[in-house]
Amino acid sequence: MMKILFLNLHFIKYIKNSLIRGICLLWIFMPGRAWAHAALPSETDVLAWVVKGRVTDANTSEPLIGCTVQIKGSGQGVVTDFNGDYSIDVQDQNAVLVFNYIGYQEIEEPVNGRTEINITMSQSVSELSQVVVIGYGSATKKDMTGAVKSLKAAEFNKGIINSPEQLLQGKVAGVNVTSASGEPGSIQSITIRGPGGVRSGSTPLFVVDGVALDNSSTGGATNPLNFLNPQDIESIDVLKDASATAIYGARGANGVVLITTKRGKAGTSILNYSGSAGLSTMANPLEVFSADQYRIEVPKVGGVLEDLGADTDWQKEISRRALTHNHNLSLSGGADKLTYYGSLGLQSQEGILRKSQLNRYTGRININQKFLDDRLDLDLNLNATNTFNYRPPIGALIGGAISANPTYPAYDAQGNPYRYAAGTNPLITLNLEKDVTTINRVLGNISPSLRITKNLRYKLNFGIDNSTSARDIQSLANAVPQQDGRLETVNIYNRNKLIENYFTYTLTKTDYNLSAVVGHSYQKIFLQGRATSINKFPISNIEPQYNPGLGQELTLANNKPTGYAIVNELQSYFSRVNFQFLDKYLVTATVRADGSSKFGENNKYGVFPSFSVGWRLNEEPFFESLPFSEFKLRAGWGQTGNQEIPSKITQPLFTSQVSASTSYPLANTGPYPAGTSYSRLANPDIQWEVSTQTDIGLDFGLFNGALAGAIDYFNKKSGKILLEVIPADPVQPAGTVWTNVADMTVTNSGLELDLQYRKTLTRGLSYYLGGNITFIQNNVENSPYTVIPSGSASGSGLTSATINGYVNGNPIGTFFLKEYIGLDDKGLSRFRDVDQDGIITDKDRVALGSALPKQMFNLNGGFSWKAFDFSANLNGVSGNKVYDNTANSNFYKLRLSKGINTTAEAIAEPKESINNSAPVSSRYLKDGSFVRLNNLSLGYQINTEKLGIRKWVSALRVSLTGENLLLWTKYDGYDPEVNTDRNINGVNSYGIDYLSYPKAKSFIFSLNLTL
Amino acid sequence: MKKKLIALFFLNFLFLTWSCTDLDEEILDETNASGLTDKQAADGILAPVYARLPDVFLHTAYFAIQEITTDEAILPYRGGTDWGDNGIYIELHKHTYTSTNANVRNTWNVVLQGISRAITAINSLPSLNDPSVNTYIAEARGMRAYYSMLTLDLFGLVFVKDDLGATSKILRGTEAFNYVRDEFLAVEPQLDPSVGPGRLSKGAVWGLLARLYLNGAVYRAPYSATFAFPQEDMDKVIEYCDKIIGSNLYTLSRDYFSIFNDENHTNKELIFAVDQRADLNGHNRLAYFSLSGDQFPLPAFPAANGTDGPGITSDFYQTWAQAYAPADPSVDPRFYQQNLSIYSNPADSCVDGASFRINRGILRGQQYGLIRRNGVFLKCADGKFKVGPLFHDTRNKPTLAVDFTERIDFTVEGSNYNTGYRVEKYEFSKKSASGRNFGEADIVIVRLADIYLMRAEAKLRKSGDAASALADVNTVRASRNLTTPPPALTSMSLDLLYRERGFEFYWEMLRRTDMIRFGKYEGTWTEKDNTDKNKRVFPIPQTAIDGASNIPGYLVQNPGY
Repeated sequence: MMKILFLNLHFIKYIKNSLIRGICLLWIFMPGRAWAHAALPSETDVLAWVVKGRVTDANTSEPLIGCTVQIKGSGQGVVTDFNGDYSIDVQDQNAVLVFNYIGYQEIEEPVNGRTEINITMSQSVSELSQVVVIGYGSATKKDMTGAVKSLKAAEFNKGIINSPEQLLQGKVAGVNVTSASGEPGSIQSITIRGPGGVRSGSTPLFVVDGVALDNSSTGGATNPLNFLNPQDIESIDVLKDASATAIYGARGANGVVLITTKRGKAGTSILNYSGSAGLSTMANPLEVFSADQYRIEVPKVGGVLEDLGADTDWQKEISRRALTHNHNLSLSGGADKLTYYGSLGLQSQEGILRKSQLNRYTGRININQKFLDDRLDLDLNLNATNTFNYRPPIGALIGGAISANPTYPAYDAQGNPYRYAAGTNPLITLNLEKDVTTINRVLGNISPSLRITKNLRYKLNFGIDNSTSARDIQSLANAVPQQDGRLETVNIYNRNKLIENYFTYTLTKTDYNLSAVVGHSYQKIFLQGRATSINKFPISNIEPQYNPGLGQELTLANNKPTGYAIVNELQSYFSRVNFQFLDKYLVTATVRADGSSKFGENNKYGVFPSFSVGWRLNEEPFFESLPFSEFKLRAGWGQTGNQEIPSKITQPLFTSQVSASTSYPLANTGPYPAGTSYSRLANPDIQWEVSTQTDIGLDFGLFNGALAGAIDYFNKKSGKILLEVIPADPVQPAGTVWTNVADMTVTNSGLELDLQYRKTLTRGLSYYLGGNITFIQNNVENSPYTVIPSGSASGSGLTSATINGYVNGNPIGTFFLKEYIGLDDKGLSRFRDVDQDGIITDKDRVALGSALPKQMFNLNGGFSWKAFDFSANLNGVSGNKVYDNTANSNFYKLRLSKGINTTAEAIAEPKESINNSAPVSSRYLKDGSFVRLNNLSLGYQINTEKLGIRKWVSALRVSLTGENLLLWTKYDGYDPEVNTDRNINGVNSYGIDYLSYPKAKSFIFSLNLTL
Repeated sequence: MKKKLIALFFLNFLFLTWSCTDLDEEILDETNASGLTDKQAADGILAPVYARLPDVFLHTAYFAIQEITTDEAILPYRGGTDWGDNGIYIELHKHTYTSTNANVRNTWNVVLQGISRAITAINSLPSLNDPSVNTYIAEARGMRAYYSMLTLDLFGLVFVKDDLGATSKILRGTEAFNYVRDEFLAVEPQLDPSVGPGRLSKGAVWGLLARLYLNGAVYRAPYSATFAFPQEDMDKVIEYCDKIIGSNLYTLSRDYFSIFNDENHTNKELIFAVDQRADLNGHNRLAYFSLSGDQFPLPAFPAANGTDGPGITSDFYQTWAQAYAPADPSVDPRFYQQNLSIYSNPADSCVDGASFRINRGILRGQQYGLIRRNGVFLKCADGKFKVGPLFHDTRNKPTLAVDFTERIDFTVEGSNYNTGYRVEKYEFSKKSASGRNFGEADIVIVRLADIYLMRAEAKLRKSGDAASALADVNTVRASRNLTTPPPALTSMSLDLLYRERGFEFYWEMLRRTDMIRFGKYEGTWTEKDNTDKNKRVFPIPQTAIDGASNIPGYLVQNPGY
């Protein structure tokens, strides 16, 4: 695969964050100077001398090699050599050297006129002092009482990344990220501690720099979170249990993901350029028969072989070696009053299917300015993104490619896609159909914070998230095959405004610390969509999207414009108290009252409390002899809500419109009356789903923090499940009504274990090893419904069959199917007659496992040696199943006998009759367990000193990353990590694979440069 | 000072923004009709009551459960690739259907929604001041009775409620029958005789009352071993049939297939029908359903084809064959109409687009039609469309001729794409670009021939008056005289009348009801040997049973499911 390697410039960006690189930064801090750009030495204080010294590890006395020793402000700096020695020119006798080594505690050392300064550095117990963002504030890890995982940029997944969920995948116990397909920018389904309901809306709340996002689609078929440039992200904090998420009340039930973007640091000025280029190919093509195999197999099953002599690999014809390139320029820095971070990013990603493309342009400015003797602190964040997505007709392309006769040539003698009589060459479809979406999204917030007294701080947060998108779905007019041409345009506008005011009170005494937050939040979300279309374009070179006026036909039946507009308001009052006594007894209590316009008249506000305690046993005398640097027991309980329900369901709906289902001709001629119909029942009692969660956890650190970890047991029980149900009396204007189903619960319970070990050895070698594992169980109870079906099957002959079905005593994502038990003597399928009535009906369906994994695990490790670093990341799931709807509708013997290509799966049963049909059944239910080597990265830190460019380039790093390199699985579709959306009435489907965009295997070459 | 100002500014900001919202939901995209005249408002309230009809009369709703459960239609898992649909069509035909059958559920849902809309209309119309209001109320109430008659016929119960907010009372058996009857009787005087066939006219209610009384014995006790048809019922059937015939508002059509043409709205034989308009609510499903996927009936639309849906069973075909033997059943103009001369004159293989029409009725043997290659139709040298024998190209079986066979069953051979004689009764809508959409023909609910045959049946059942019955049957036969009419029958009996109803009304969604009334539903025919009487009444959909589970004992599943 690694045929061509692209070398591209790529700057070091995450110096501070790389755990493995071991770069030592030496800062010179000049007190009294207000502005960093003024920190250049002036003529008058030139009094240069050389400071020399050695940097060693405090425990092992080994030299710390490869540390960059830098004179900050002036841009000067050096790196410790193989003996840990450095030598640097200092020009101010008052200068302070700041030794900052990742994984070690930072040391500030005033020069005080000395010429030799030897430093010993201790490995930091960084896990403990790590700052965790917790919503309306932050806390140190050691004071946390909730289940929270904080990920810094260095720990993120590497590769071609479109959205923050991908950065997280596998990194946090309890968090399951599944990409819907391998399409660039595809939807990522993410659940934290399992889905709490049966509908969609199990996505966690995302909060970017304090602005809670709305999870609605911003248009097109891509993930709305693609707008964030991963390179701008400093850290991601995942709040898992109720004691952590209750501060987000009615939106906390699915967990909260807090994203913090990068900031400048006072006294620095860094210009960073990073560039990468990646090559992607289809990772695991389906093994359909090659032309030679096809020639043998078709006659064998009694088919008529139509052999045109070619040898076409159709999957190859529709796919390509795709190039992705990414460029980022960021500048950051500041003085003590003003810090800034600005970046421009560009990612141009080709999909592995031809004509599939995702381009993203991002710009960000983050500014922090202090006023009034630092009493007033103002944060301003602004992000603007333009995304362009080109989609070929994916289903038709893949469906065509895996079933086309491989002896047909792809192209005719003129180089045009070959036209064959039976079916359509997918390459023709590729030329005729396209779907392009452009999304512009601007997210900005300003948050001034005022210190009113020593202990009291007031903060305002005002944010706006605005996106517009235009999508054109276009069919070109064509003669052979004949089609008329059509253009459909969809415009979507999302506006999300947030205003929050809160006070923070902190009291620090010898024996105790107290911190309290109280505030108010108001958010207004506006969503609008419109669609128009026009038909019958002439055959011409002009694409309809560029001149819709060429369309010749506009009829009400065919081209009726559609649209919607929704306003949602949320108003909340929240409060949290953290109390810490003797640095070992911790208490957190949270309450939030949330009101939402989505809720019914009788239930406008909900109150969501949580309470949690922590006990740091390692601070107790009886723990002193034990090698624990940290041993904290945590326990928490809380309630959170899920208000991700459709708007307007509490209100009745009378519509008055001319439409097929509401209007009817009352006269022989003349316009049709606008039918006034009552199409939705009001339910003023509607409220949020409530999830009650208990979490018991243990955080521990051993060997001075070298081994750190956490174990959490959780039990999350969601009740008042929101469902669109059929009323008891079926005589209703609408067939269904939204309600909170009494007594029904969905429980997620499980165990999470997270471990991290770091070790620095002699001779500049250090390594780390970490991982996590989650055992999780989901269970539906007290559902009044025999089965809640979802996952409608796709493909001819399979209509009306459902694949998923949620039944009591089984998890969400359960496959509820007829059980295939082999073939009868005629070679026809047999199914288990569960109710033994002699016939196979829907009543013979049984629960046969779930798409939700029972175990999820991740293993990561790496080492650094001198200037080299290496990291690897494996992740996997087990205990889950995947329904291979692609095979169900494509790979069975009958199709092969008709000359339609299949995989060997079709002839796996020699006894099978060629006339055996393939209804939906457990026959196509497959084990979805997998282990994936999803990241392998090798980097090299170029010594710019030796190159003599130290003055210009302070750091230079090259790296090679392989993404999705190996996959171990029994699943024989493209990829077991798949989730084709086949929901029924908003009830989520899980684990269905139907003509999904194949996943890519990629190699990315990067080069980072820091000035 | 500056500090204080700024602090003040922020505090001010705080209080400004603190000002609470009442969180009332603002509705932006849904219209509440306003500013309408009373006439417009009345139209807008009545129209939705009727508007459910096209969806009731879908191939995957009422058609499926009224025809595929009978000897008139069978739908195998075509070629092992099409119409598998989780076995729902096979179970309908084999009478092994259960409460999760999608066709049963589809029908239930739309019919009940129709009832609900009628209740809304009955409640809202009286407040309007327009001359049409009284008729409209009668129509809405009459439509509620019609939809209720459907639930009675299909599910053995009716839902009674007048206030939309109340919970319906469920009636079965005699009470249900009486409810429907009384409702029809109550509205009959207010109805307008001249609004048909698309709306409920006086004539329509007479026809429906005749149908209700004719089936009264079944509706009152659907699981009886035999049905005793009370004389009073039969008198009522005759009375209402006489009213219709005597009204002279309706005429038997000389051209049988014109009853099902695109332009049938003005056909005088139609008494009550679903008014389909291509630009509003029309679907072409009844015309497309049975045709082959390789039959393309419209030169203008190379994407409009059939789907190899159901065919008639060989048992049903044999009723025709045996009735006319040794002659071919096509001597009956209701059986078949040839529109393409290539069938009888193989040399005529180029047809002008404007005059291209596929054949109608029951299609047998090799089919001819437009030949589609690479998405376009082949043409002759003179620019006309090339017509020739068809093959299953779209099925990847280019050597398998579109040659409809008498045999059709659930065996592998009997399930192939070409099995079964097909039915093209409704005209394939000339506007249907996809073959599925833009239907034009009104779908018949009650037509005059049914009135004659119901009267004949009532006479037979009441007093065995075979002579009068024979006269009625032969009146219908003789009326189809655009070409040679079917020969007059010489004798009459219930069995002959049952057979005649098959000839006259095949695929008009009356068969299941007829079979039950004539005691034939527990019979055996192609692939059907289940004799469970409980199957006369469909199961209440499981979704509805589940939905009502919070009121124990409210919605009780029908016996046997």
